[in-house]
Amino acid sequence: MLQEFNYLAPKSKNELYAQLRKYSGKARILAGGTDILVELHNQWVAPEYLIDIKKIGEFQGISYDEKEGLSIGATTVCIDLIKDRNVNKHFPLLADAAHRIGSPQLRNRATIGGNLCTASPCADMGCSLLALNASVEIGSEDGTRIIPLKEFFTGPKKTQIKKHEILQRIIVPTEMAGAKFGMHKLKRIKGHDIALVSVAMARTAKVIRVGIGSCGPTPVVTEDLPPRASLRAVVKAVEKVVSPIDDVRASKDYRLFMTRQFVETIYPELFKRS
Amino acid sequence: MQIKLTVNGKKYQRDASETKNLLHFLREDLGLTGTKEGCGAGECGACTVIMNGRTVNSCLILAVEADGCDLQTIEGEAKDGNLSELQQAFHKNHAVQCGFCTPGMIMSARALLQKTAKPSVEQIKEAIEGNFCRCTGYQQIIEAVQDASGQLKKKEGLRRA
Repeated sequence: MLQEFNYLAPKSKNELYAQLRKYSGKARILAGGTDILVELHNQWVAPEYLIDIKKIGEFQGISYDEKEGLSIGATTVCIDLIKDRNVNKHFPLLADAAHRIGSPQLRNRATIGGNLCTASPCADMGCSLLALNASVEIGSEDGTRIIPLKEFFTGPKKTQIKKHEILQRIIVPTEMAGAKFGMHKLKRIKGHDIALVSVAMARTAKVIRVGIGSCGPTPVVTEDLPPRASLRAVVKAVEKVVSPIDDVRASKDYRLFMTRQFVETIYPELFKRS
Repeated sequence: MQIKLTVNGKKYQRDASETKNLLHFLREDLGLTGTKEGCGAGECGACTVIMNGRTVNSCLILAVEADGCDLQTIEGEAKDGNLSELQQAFHKNHAVQCGFCTPGMIMSARALLQKTAKPSVEQIKEAIEGNFCRCTGYQQIIEAVQDASGQLKKKEGLRRA
């Protein structure tokens, strides 16, 4: 048995907004559960209310619109992202990134919204979505607001989301559709380890952007670089945004070295003719 | 909270504690103790069951989240006291030593075979990457899944009646 909490499962976003207002500060969100069930199991957290958002239709599904781009509902699980036709057609980098998460059991359950809201510095979806210049839609009784993902993360396990708010969907802009891309994730054992370093790069006719995970307090992204930027310029831009630390999983120097290695490996991929 | 679910084709209705995970619900409330608890934190895969056609760690799901779902557990493998072909292949190929990982391992293999009749070695490895086995070194397990899908040479493979 886990510690006591009240389980709530709202069926619409308005019902959820009211609950978030009422139980502000006492509730935690349950999406895929692959992080919070571990926290509950280990008694690291003791929320009074656990609000399951998987029954809310408005937060489900993936759709593509020529104007807005790709819209990914917050409770979309990794395996659905990996298999989605529009994701594979327009933003295959996202399918690639989702495929690198955990094990099949976790990919079948873990949600994109949960991955971002947990806001681990090594969030697997973070660096790929940053490279694609994604935004997130946050909702509450006060209305909805859309902010760039690069402003969303504010620290390890910290985001812009306030206690009465919820992440509703992720938007990937059309301008990044069909981008050439590459990703590398350094880990010890496939299926059982979190990233020591991850690098995702995307290039369109207008821009090169690099997202980096596990190399700072949050996933980070470079400034927009011109599409013909030299490898040296790209490496320099990456080194400007990363700030890795020594920890139990890897040293600062190793992380910096591997980040540079990955950028050098992926860079030529961005210029391949399709 | 009252929940209804189907496990191995049998329908159940139970009053489930909101704070109980699916693993403990299966073991304690339904008496299906074939599914094992290893780490309790989604690392080892010993508690793997198939939920609506997809493998999941039952330790990371609340019982109440499984309301309305269709589950398959290791108890659904053998029929009338006879092991399934997949179980026989594990037996024949020495894919079981201590046996603790086996129920979860078999469910991961089962989910793979339900989607892919003749999986490649790479596909088998990916399907079981979330299941720890500390005894066999995995090779025998991979061979067992190849055998169960008719991909081992007849002489080495499972003898079919």
